[in-house]
Amino acid sequence: MHLAVVAHVTGTLVRLFAPALVAPAGVAWFYGERRDAAGFLVAFAVAALLGTQMRRSGGPASGDLERIRRVEGMAIVAATWMVIAHLGAIPYVWAGLGPIDALFESMSGFTTTGATAFTDFTAFGRGIFFWRALTQWVGGLGVVALVVAVLPRLAIGGRELFFAEAAGPTDEKLTPQLRQTAIALWRLYIALTVAEIAALMLAGMSLFDAVCHAFTTMAAGGFSPHPQSIAGYGSATIDWIVVAFMFAAGANFAVQYRAARGSRVALVQDEEFRAYAAVVLVATVVLFVFLLGDGLGPGEALRHGAFQVVSILTTTGFASADFQLWGDQAKVVLLLLMFIGGCAGSAAGGPKVVRHVLMARLTLRELRRTLHPRSVLPVKLGGRVVPEPILRDVQVFMLFYLLAFAVGTAVVVALGADLVTGITSSIACLGNIGPGFNTVGPMASFAELHPVSKVVLTLQMWIGRLEVMTVLVFFRLEPWRAARWR
Amino acid sequence: MRVVIVGGGEIGFALSQTLAQQHEVFVVDHAPEVAARFESLDVQFVMGSATNPDVLALAGIAGADVLVACTGLDEVNIVACAMARRHGSPEAYCVLSREEFLGLADQQGLAAFGITRVIWPEAQLAADIERIVRTPGALDAETFAEGAIQLIEYRLEPGSTLAGRRIADLHLPHGCLVVAVRRGDAFFIPRGASELAVGDRVVVMGTPDALRDVAHRFTTASADGTRQRVTIIGGGDVGLRVAEALDESDAADVTVIERSPERGELLAGRLRRSLVLNGDGTDLELLQAEDIGRSDVLVSVIDNDERNLFASLLARQLGVRRIITRVGKRANLRLFERVGIDVAISARAAAVASVLHQIRGGATRLLALVEQGAGRILELEVPAGYSTRALRELAPPLNSIVGAIVRESQAIVPRGTDHIQAGDRLIVFTTYEAADRVRAYFTSVTA
Repeated sequence: MHLAVVAHVTGTLVRLFAPALVAPAGVAWFYGERRDAAGFLVAFAVAALLGTQMRRSGGPASGDLERIRRVEGMAIVAATWMVIAHLGAIPYVWAGLGPIDALFESMSGFTTTGATAFTDFTAFGRGIFFWRALTQWVGGLGVVALVVAVLPRLAIGGRELFFAEAAGPTDEKLTPQLRQTAIALWRLYIALTVAEIAALMLAGMSLFDAVCHAFTTMAAGGFSPHPQSIAGYGSATIDWIVVAFMFAAGANFAVQYRAARGSRVALVQDEEFRAYAAVVLVATVVLFVFLLGDGLGPGEALRHGAFQVVSILTTTGFASADFQLWGDQAKVVLLLLMFIGGCAGSAAGGPKVVRHVLMARLTLRELRRTLHPRSVLPVKLGGRVVPEPILRDVQVFMLFYLLAFAVGTAVVVALGADLVTGITSSIACLGNIGPGFNTVGPMASFAELHPVSKVVLTLQMWIGRLEVMTVLVFFRLEPWRAARWR
Repeated sequence: MRVVIVGGGEIGFALSQTLAQQHEVFVVDHAPEVAARFESLDVQFVMGSATNPDVLALAGIAGADVLVACTGLDEVNIVACAMARRHGSPEAYCVLSREEFLGLADQQGLAAFGITRVIWPEAQLAADIERIVRTPGALDAETFAEGAIQLIEYRLEPGSTLAGRRIADLHLPHGCLVVAVRRGDAFFIPRGASELAVGDRVVVMGTPDALRDVAHRFTTASADGTRQRVTIIGGGDVGLRVAEALDESDAADVTVIERSPERGELLAGRLRRSLVLNGDGTDLELLQAEDIGRSDVLVSVIDNDERNLFASLLARQLGVRRIITRVGKRANLRLFERVGIDVAISARAAAVASVLHQIRGGATRLLALVEQGAGRILELEVPAGYSTRALRELAPPLNSIVGAIVRESQAIVPRGTDHIQAGDRLIVFTTYEAADRVRAYFTSVTA
């Protein structure tokens, strides 16, 4: 591992990210929040200086750039996310939030988690809420995908970057070049965002709220400027619009892109998408039945059932109702969905539907092997055989994922939270979902948790967003021992 | 006629053997040990590679009428054909076996290399096996005239209600004919007075509907669409093709036994529902553990006659009802059936017959072989200007029978009163010995 390369590229990315802090400064200024605007400008200055400095300390390393290896790619991704989360926390601290809560909030934004440490929403200005939404939007398709699209210099070595960042095992190469792929997906992402802003405004939302919600929906994030999330608007139309766009945000963008380009069957052909749609359908029906039992009318039960199912499955984390008040039957449906996540190649977090499909097939394979010990049983996806190394990676991933979940749960519970809070806060952060149950319910806040719990949960968001292995590999000594500056 | 045969393997040798009696035959092969084998034949052997123009010139390519490329290497065969056409041979037949050349079978592909006809022994064999497997209880199955006419061969099992009765007393429905009977080594075309016996292999020809109606009288195997259990031993070209065809149409529960783990992976990747087992088809323990004895059909297509036979006999012992086995050496064909294999079938024999007929057939077309060539199905066209007459007015040679008249879109299984008219295509069943006479007769009658 060449640390100079990591510093150089991370610095380049951070410097590229810095201008994003100017936009909320403008918004804050527009709404007369001078103090907040100053905070954004300070953060901008720090980010720009730090980025330039890191870039210079590592550069000129353009020769090495073309030879970014896997371990360096992972280090760049992990470091970029961590550094940007710290920089993004500056405005929150400036606005009066404690440093741990600020970092939690910032990480929650860039990892598109949507868990909040805010307790009093009236204490913050519009600039801050816009910034929260923007962090998720930027985090959405990944800071790295953005930069690969914008910065052609990285295109060659960028393949490794994309590999480390790309959400899940996917071989969707739409165009031969990574850079074009990234741009194509960005276009779709932006188009969907614009469409949602328009739809929400037609449904009666103000421009500011529509922009914030569209940003956080398409990123499968879940921050809302309203303290009661989508439930605060009390509108069925808005609920259904958000459901539709959350569903799109949780589906593979590459497949959607192909469908939009005229390949009508792309969605139907994609096995993961079919499984994803099936999960949504089945979970909605089950939840619908349980909600009827809880005393809701059929229309309400369907609307809130579908909304919560899609919101949790896609790891968005909006709430159209305070599901903390629902019965345990309904809650367990949502709890199970938390362990699934959206599609690979989407903005969603979690282990991803495709990994569950593969795990299910692996299980069936072992059952079949018991009956026919000598049989040759490849695992297939979309009619093609999945190579054994990828299957092993999937199994290892699931193992580490559950391990990370268990550690998080243990820490949060050990530090005083109740069991349900511990379990759901851990999976909600690791899966980049946002809200859990009890203390961390949809209308509550993570602020009341022990500070150490919050640090651990912050790390879990980071680990979960970067697909576990990218980060965990640096918990071993080996890459550090082999680390050199140049 | 001058025939140049490239490749002195099984197909080349069998072709030379037959053709040398009447034609001028040149054989090109680069192996000295092959040359020795051809010494007993009246052929001109040229040692060397057929991709070398000088060698081809030595083989008299300039004056040749046909070149048949049948080496074991597809590329060599293709190149030899291309060279032959360039150097004067008007016809070039190319034997191919690998799947990646399948694209060559269309007109464009053929024209690009000057190939006039592609012979695809493995593909043809796989298609034949698939047809037989799909027809419950059948020992052979063919279709002609775009599926309007079918031919099925059954064996009369002990207890069959047909045994001991005269054909005329069977009261078969219109649209279906018993065209041939194989009893021991005798193969004949029965008359109304012929009696059937247990153990006879009976060839029936007719329309699909009529044959479906009579199937239950010939066999106890259910024809009612219950899924068959099919076991395929050997996942080579033929095994894979058969498995793929059955798998794609979901026609049966297929189990493939393949010895090589790598090949097994490939098979399992290509097949959707079939079960692929990694093991040896001659491993009794494996066959028992997987309950192979309960299969309705076992297809043994290993590339080795001895192991094929062994696997098939094991399956017979385990109680498999129908066994189809590939035979490599033509000499083994009869032997296999004698020791209890239901269907012994050879890709090379079919290829040889196809080439021979092509060279000697004249206006008739060879549609299929029955009973390893003892019976042949020919198709001939009644030319324009032929005066219509009833079938019974014809006096075709002994041991031949008009099985069907194909007229425009309909196919008629004829009786004596049916007429033959210009433009008809006749599907004629004949024994091997009578084939030449039939060709001559119908050529003169229809001329």
